[in-house]
Amino acid sequence: MEMERFDSIVIGAGHAGCEAALALSRTGNKTLLLTISLDAIAFLACNPSIGGTAKGQLVGEIDALGGEMGINADKTAIQIRMLNRGKGPAVQSLRAQADKNAYHQEMKKTLEKQPNLFVRQGEADSIGIDGEDKIVTTHLGLKYVAKSIVLATGVYLKSEIIIGKSRESVGPNGFKNSSNLSESLKKLGLKLLRFKTGTPVRLHARSVDYDQMQIQLGDEDVRPFSYMSDKQPENKTVCYLTYTTPLTHEIIKNNLDKAPAISGEIKGVGPRYCPSIETKIVRFADKERHQLFLEPEALDTQEMYLQGFSTSMPSELQLDMVRSCVGLGHAEIMRDAYAIEYDCIDPTELCPTLELKTIKGLFFAGQINGTSGYEEAAAQGIIAGINASLYNQGKEQLVLKRSDGYIGVLIDDIVTKGTNEPYRMMTSRAEYRLLLRQDNADLRLTEIGRKVGLVSDERYARLQEKKKKMQEIDQKLQKLAKIDQKLINFCEENGENLPKENVKFRELLKRNNIDIFKLDKEFDLFDESDKPYLDFVNTEIKYEGYLKQQQEDVEKMLSNEKTIIPENFDYTKTKGLRDEAVEKLNKIRPLNIGQASRISGVSPADIAVLSILIKKK
Amino acid sequence: MKNKTIVSISTPLGKGAVAIVRMSGDESLKIAFKFFSAKNLNAENIQPRMMYFGKLKLEENVFEECLMVFFKTPFSYTGEDIVEFQIHGGTLLAQKVVEVCLKNGACMAEAGEFSKRAFLNGKITLDKAEAIIGEINAEAESELKSSLQITNGRLAEAILTEQEKLKTLLAEIEVGLDYPEETEETKLKSNIKNVLTDIEKNIDNIIKQSESAKYFKSGINVALVGKTNVGKSSVMNALLGQDRAIVTDIQGTTRDNITESFSHNGIKINLVDTAGIRETEDVVESVGIEKSKTVLKSADIILFVLDGSEKLSQEDKEIKKMLTGKKCLYVINKTDKKREIEDFENEIEISALKNQNIDNLKNRICEMVIGEEIDQNALVLTNERQIQILKNAKSNLENILAENFLSLDILSTSLKALWQLLGKITGNTENEDIIDLIFSKFCLGK
Repeated sequence: MEMERFDSIVIGAGHAGCEAALALSRTGNKTLLLTISLDAIAFLACNPSIGGTAKGQLVGEIDALGGEMGINADKTAIQIRMLNRGKGPAVQSLRAQADKNAYHQEMKKTLEKQPNLFVRQGEADSIGIDGEDKIVTTHLGLKYVAKSIVLATGVYLKSEIIIGKSRESVGPNGFKNSSNLSESLKKLGLKLLRFKTGTPVRLHARSVDYDQMQIQLGDEDVRPFSYMSDKQPENKTVCYLTYTTPLTHEIIKNNLDKAPAISGEIKGVGPRYCPSIETKIVRFADKERHQLFLEPEALDTQEMYLQGFSTSMPSELQLDMVRSCVGLGHAEIMRDAYAIEYDCIDPTELCPTLELKTIKGLFFAGQINGTSGYEEAAAQGIIAGINASLYNQGKEQLVLKRSDGYIGVLIDDIVTKGTNEPYRMMTSRAEYRLLLRQDNADLRLTEIGRKVGLVSDERYARLQEKKKKMQEIDQKLQKLAKIDQKLINFCEENGENLPKENVKFRELLKRNNIDIFKLDKEFDLFDESDKPYLDFVNTEIKYEGYLKQQQEDVEKMLSNEKTIIPENFDYTKTKGLRDEAVEKLNKIRPLNIGQASRISGVSPADIAVLSILIKKK
Repeated sequence: MKNKTIVSISTPLGKGAVAIVRMSGDESLKIAFKFFSAKNLNAENIQPRMMYFGKLKLEENVFEECLMVFFKTPFSYTGEDIVEFQIHGGTLLAQKVVEVCLKNGACMAEAGEFSKRAFLNGKITLDKAEAIIGEINAEAESELKSSLQITNGRLAEAILTEQEKLKTLLAEIEVGLDYPEETEETKLKSNIKNVLTDIEKNIDNIIKQSESAKYFKSGINVALVGKTNVGKSSVMNALLGQDRAIVTDIQGTTRDNITESFSHNGIKINLVDTAGIRETEDVVESVGIEKSKTVLKSADIILFVLDGSEKLSQEDKEIKKMLTGKKCLYVINKTDKKREIEDFENEIEISALKNQNIDNLKNRICEMVIGEEIDQNALVLTNERQIQILKNAKSNLENILAENFLSLDILSTSLKALWQLLGKITGNTENEDIIDLIFSKFCLGK
């Protein structure tokens, strides 16, 4: 049988697979997107929301590179909020409730419309290597060949759903899982880990007593996720906050023997940041109640997602537990909560390009790499897609640095340090987070996206416009504020001392109680076309000193990143490095001295020795 | 990217006659001229590889004479601009000069960093590489050893306590930033300002407690005792190098305690001449005697001045009894006359009148007080680094506390830098530690 040939094959059409497939096809690669079910494309298997702290930044970065997640989220958002207002610009993050049905449909449409992209239902059974060719064989015996492959299988590898005593070999939400690919990966020499995650119950909207809950409204004045979207998504729905009760805790405590997560039935490593309700009650026994959020799954369904109520307790107990919570006395469960175990790889087997160290042209992205979350997956997906494309073209691959974005932090963390639980992005992981804001992802990454061919003319033009506007606004702020009655009143109203002489508005702006909007209102400095950029310029100027300081830290870090370690460097044949360092370095195989210095177990003295050994070669 | 300018003591620590402090990097010269001055010399007209005689400003009104040489890149050991100061021998002075360099913008050199730079800049041939690697590892090991000594001690424990407080505060702030939805959890429980003020106070205490820091700052307190008219005031004058106390032949002229200070190898030495200790019915003098006893208690060392030309008197014996158990040096004065007095275990012969052996006396004072402690090379190196770190930490904290416009993201960034700074002493700097604390302290997640 003649094998159908592609430039690249992406296995899995979740959030990582979709970005990878789009990045590949949009940069001219004939791409096959193979998925177990077309109905599971971009499926929001857990919470019906996109963004949140650090994740909102990831979405912005994916978008700035020319990815799809932000656009798709803007199209399908039904409520949107800006988290952490008032805590500083670096940690503000967008979070949207997404219509889970629309999200899937819109992404599917986008894939279907994409030239060069072939979306095909089918389960990949094995991957074969034949010289430079990679051959994917499906469970029905079809064979596809390509130069590169992106594996984005999510939590589908040998996944099992656990509810009480029931353990079923299925994928999320009961979709078919992938039963044979794990073995094929082992044959390629990969070590597999077993991780676990979970999802809460879904309730019928009519069975909830909202009067006993606190309503959570969306914000009316926030910007969209995508730099390509002009308007804020409309708030079309609301969420609710409620709590567990002492009765809930009692039920759980009395039935811990039935909890697979506690009894040891579940062996997979679960994330600490996403514990099941029974884990919370065991670990934080003195807490009187836990908060729960009730979120609509989509506009065209009555299903409500009960955030905070992930469990793998037996089905009949789940009902008792839910009904003991405030406002849920008559709740109807539509879908059970469950825990899911799955195979994933050890991400330290990957290069910072997400290519497997041992097989060129084989890329990995998403939960298969031991991460968690839609945004984390999509972020890896776009990078794996870009790099598979660069690989096909024989070009140097892209590595985002920790100072380029959260994506750089995420990938550097997992490939350098590995992870022993599903890895979630947090703002506290980003040491340069003052520089890595949602409002400047385009300035950081769109040039890079343009260079690899993912950024459209229109997106690029928007970036140029923003840069131009920033300059114009800065120019206008260079004007002098003259000391007159108006300025006297202005300073007095804002509790600021009057400047001793005429001073630039830019300097006035740095005062604690003054911001760019107050200046504009009082002195009418800006045009309508400046308005969308004022907030951004305000941040850049008010935080100038801190941003500069952090930029200096970045420069220091980058000087270490510049010392490249030769690819074939043999650590075992060196003298002077400690055994532990040799072992770690040999396993991780860092690209440069900077990455080497972040490996745990490698000391500063080892780094000094290493830099000499490299020079010696 | 410019190489940061590094500094270290490049001669073996201890009792050499001369010590060399060396800076290497683009800014060496710029930094040097912030505190070094020589007649008609500046950064423009200085000639490489010429030796200049000048003065180092150690602190306000404290100067030290030295020789200075400048090597211009690439004609230097490291291949970078190098400035070397040749100073009087002695660990403390060398340390002090290093500290002045640090204050003016240099960084402490890492283990073997001079050699490493020399190698990387092509100044050392390939066959030397192995030796340099050995050097780095040896230095790292000895630092590790001394930091272990420190780690076992009370000092490290105290620093660790402050670092832990900071970590807890950080975790509290971070959890609020990463989990804003968890309203119940994320209310900041601690009063940030109180916690930081407390930490600042404690770090300040640690700095003060740190023994060698104390000598750097306030110097060594030396009490002079001896019966009246053995020449205490003359000894004091000889040490000071000028007339301070009134010297007469009448017993009991010096009734008040007199404090004077002088600098020896960069260390401040505070001299207290006590009123002659003897039982007296003279009211004025008896007040002086009470004071003298207090002085003895707070002194780091006591100089017991004796007249070498006389046999030990009853009064001398009484004083000797009072001094048992104290750090004491017997100063046998008047060696210009024939010695009659017996030998003592810990003694030095001088003639205050003829200014004989005074420099040695100064050296003995320093040696006896801090000599033993600082002769362990590695420990000193680490201390120097650690004290510098603590000082930086303190000034960072002061800056943070002084700033009233701080959003939480900025505050936590500054606090994390501070936490990592302290981690250079305690060794705990993994960001993952904070994340671990977040998850163990707070119940989070969907």
